[in-house]
Amino acid sequence: MSYAHPEVLVDTEWLSQNPPNESRKLVEVDYDPVNGYQKGHINGASLIWWKRDINDPVTRDIISKKEFEALMSKNGITADTEVILYGDFNNWFAAFVFWVFKIYGHENLKIMNGGRKKWELENRDYTTDEPQISPSQYIGQPPDEGLRAYLFDVSRGIGKEDTVMVDVRSPAEFSGQITAPPEYPMEHAQRGGHIPDANNIPWATAVNDADGTFKGVEELKQNYEQKGVTPDKDVICYCRIGERSSHSWFVLKYLLGYPKVRNYDGSWTEWGNMIGNPVEK
Amino acid sequence: MLLDLPVIEKGSFYFIKDGNTALILEDKTKRGLEIKETSEDETLKVKADKGMIHDMDGIGHWVPIRWYFSKDSYDLSSVLVHANAMEKKYTELRELTCPQDDD
Repeated sequence: MSYAHPEVLVDTEWLSQNPPNESRKLVEVDYDPVNGYQKGHINGASLIWWKRDINDPVTRDIISKKEFEALMSKNGITADTEVILYGDFNNWFAAFVFWVFKIYGHENLKIMNGGRKKWELENRDYTTDEPQISPSQYIGQPPDEGLRAYLFDVSRGIGKEDTVMVDVRSPAEFSGQITAPPEYPMEHAQRGGHIPDANNIPWATAVNDADGTFKGVEELKQNYEQKGVTPDKDVICYCRIGERSSHSWFVLKYLLGYPKVRNYDGSWTEWGNMIGNPVEK
Repeated sequence: MLLDLPVIEKGSFYFIKDGNTALILEDKTKRGLEIKETSEDETLKVKADKGMIHDMDGIGHWVPIRWYFSKDSYDLSSVLVHANAMEKKYTELRELTCPQDDD
């Protein structure tokens, strides 16, 4: 059985045979561009830096439609361009950017399965040359808020039979043993634990550990359905800052074809810091 | 196991442990950090376990977790010089962020 939307994935071999051109743009999305893109990237790829390019610099929010259009223009992307995303940290941030592209209505969008991890395991070439890009004209769509869950949506969903929360963090974060791994000292919360009744299905259970690629349909179905995460539910995914959960959002929405999946990008750094929010350990 | 080694000196922010061939200085503020590589520390010029910490921009920085001072070249007093320097640095940082109330 194939994925519900196989057109959203390309593999490393396909990309090596089909390099970027005028109508196909390749974009590396990094959390840490100094140790990623700047050390080497796939030939022809431009960079979207998660922190700088996709987040509002002052308010905690994703960029506005106007800022998204400017970002697309800078990367030479038009509304008709085929865009292929890949990145560091098992494509977590590429998936986050995929989610933002979809919020602003970009249609022809794909992820390179396995991201930097698989490309490097296969000893494929990198370059440090940055592509010459002519700015484009980009007109985005109004934001599709149906893809995003806010604090209010999550509070309202607690205790409802037709809503299911998927906490994609590690079991140690879910149980409240830690609020963030020590390598992310800026991403802690005041309280550890999880949103009441959430299911702990770590993002990594959706990927093959060896190369970071997505698991097959049957394995993915088993992974989610046995925990009650079924297509008839309103599914809300969250993690610590909303990037790992966008990876699981991508799996549920595009690989399994669930009709109603939202990413709660406020995630634990919002929920675990709000006064009065209920927390389960 | 590093955990089982006897502690011969400790401060608020460090342990010095007695290894077979080295005195091991551990930075307590890096507890739990995953060791990503072991290589020479450019400042102290001894072998060190290193991890990576990401700053507010998401940029990863290599940080030493523990240093291995060979017993052939270093005695406890020379390791303590580095340990005390570390203790002073972290005490000053703590004072900046959480000053003691002297009243």
